[in-house]
Amino acid sequence: MADIFTFFSIVLGGLLVWAALSPFETLGWWAGWFGDQMYQDNLPSDGLVRAVRPNADRYILFLSGVGRVSGETFSRREQGFLQRLAQALPQAVIIDDIFPYSVNNLSLTGQPFFARLWRWALRCKLDGPALAGYLINVRNIWQVLVSVDRRYGPIYNQAMAEVLLHSLLRYHYDPASNAPVYLIGYSGAGQMAVGAVTYLREWIRGPIYVISLGGIFGSDPGVLAANRIYHLYGDRDKAHKLSAIAPGRWSIFPTSEWNRARRQGLIRFIKMGPMGHTGVGGYLDNKTRLPDGTIYLDKTVQVVADIVMQPMAVA
Amino acid sequence: MIETLKLPSLWQTIQHALGLDQTIFTAVQQAPEGLWLAGIIVCLAGLSEAVGQSIVLLINRVRFKRFVLALMIATISHFVGYLLWTTTVWLVGGYLFERTQPWLAIASVVGLAYAPQLLAFFTLTPFIGNPFSILLSLWSLLAIVVALRAGLGLETWQAIVTSGLGWLLIQTWKRTVGRPVYALGRWLQRRAAGVPLEFTSHDVSRLRRRPYWLENLESWKSQRPLIDRHQLVARLSQSGLLLVEQILPETNRAPSQGSLEAHLPKRKP
Repeated sequence: MADIFTFFSIVLGGLLVWAALSPFETLGWWAGWFGDQMYQDNLPSDGLVRAVRPNADRYILFLSGVGRVSGETFSRREQGFLQRLAQALPQAVIIDDIFPYSVNNLSLTGQPFFARLWRWALRCKLDGPALAGYLINVRNIWQVLVSVDRRYGPIYNQAMAEVLLHSLLRYHYDPASNAPVYLIGYSGAGQMAVGAVTYLREWIRGPIYVISLGGIFGSDPGVLAANRIYHLYGDRDKAHKLSAIAPGRWSIFPTSEWNRARRQGLIRFIKMGPMGHTGVGGYLDNKTRLPDGTIYLDKTVQVVADIVMQPMAVA
Repeated sequence: MIETLKLPSLWQTIQHALGLDQTIFTAVQQAPEGLWLAGIIVCLAGLSEAVGQSIVLLINRVRFKRFVLALMIATISHFVGYLLWTTTVWLVGGYLFERTQPWLAIASVVGLAYAPQLLAFFTLTPFIGNPFSILLSLWSLLAIVVALRAGLGLETWQAIVTSGLGWLLIQTWKRTVGRPVYALGRWLQRRAAGVPLEFTSHDVSRLRRRPYWLENLESWKSQRPLIDRHQLVARLSQSGLLLVEQILPETNRAPSQGSLEAHLPKRKP
């Protein structure tokens, strides 16, 4: 019994030390310790996603949940969702090769010292044991908390805005145009999207909308900087309720950015029916159906496409 | 409970001190190695606190080697603070409550009371670091009260008065005859950092940086067809939106290789 207690104490202590060290990635980047390079994964287009389309007049940046290790998604559900979205929105450029948990878009598997560890964790995530794969999620959750924290957030979010600007420019976005930009923040990336808006706003002229897909985010200044935030949530999604741990989301702080944005009508809540957060029964599930017979994925694609085509259409 | 006169290992001593066990504070005074143990705890606590407060160094873009040097200076400065704190407690305890322990005995007990500060490193933890720092302050306060009560044989209220007056004495020292010493400490800190430490954590939200990768668009073009660089510069200039405001000095930055910046308009504050 004592051994088990010692084991869990060591694991907990290790996690806490890891969490305490996590801001150094952001702060070290700011201090110039890791250079100024911006990384990119050079993923080829599949013809729909990551394709520069002629006469594109809107840009969609998809920021994935905390399970990612790089700009490349290994989730078939995410791939399916993005391809369907690209089919529904022929005038939009959809960019997904972004790793939103890195200040310079450097994938975990490309890190100079820990690449082996992350490759191993990725193998575990894909083939098991799944528990080891959760190391990736934990690491990315620390970065979400860095973005939320007022001491580090302004730096991290600025970095994220640079990553997003870099991605937009790679896909021929014209910062002087009025082309709208839509940031889809799935799960923990909701914070990354909201956090970056404040700074991305300083770089581009077009309106910026955040589409939070079961997103978790705090009361960030970005909620006031965005032209509008659409928060999509399912009744069975418990994860999106984690946003409530941020005190600024509580109604007892009426001057918080979140509460001010709500009063200004900048936040729209869109109920997605009995959807869950992820996996089977999640927003991107292409098998489970709503009571009216609509497949979950179809519904999610439709709602997002409606928002993108006519921002004010979905109330 | 532990036996007096015999100290357990460093780790166990710390555990007892963190648990505010009164007997460990008595034991550390009486054991021959108590003073060393206390000294080690003060140094480690100083380092932990220096790391916990290192955000300011990084915000000011201190280089890595300088960062390590600044941490060492901060640790030494922390140790000097401990000597001062011990002296004030010794003076107040001696003159006000007539407890005539040797200075070294007080040094042991005050040093051990620094144990909660060993956790100061965790104030860096995102999201929960700030609430934790409040908890840590209260914890440290309790530790010093328990330490003085045990170490000087004081009543609780006397221990509170002693630590309060000790703190007041330090504040008075800082603002009067101690000013040159503190000025020297700050000068050393600046010298170690190698850059002006002009920004505090309150300035974070107004800090901006300019990404240098924007100046290397040519290398992108070799990988992907992009819009022409000159065209981009012209459009950015027209937009008047591109951020080029720079609050930070460029001390730590690589020299500019391109001239994109020259084409960009200054952003209105």
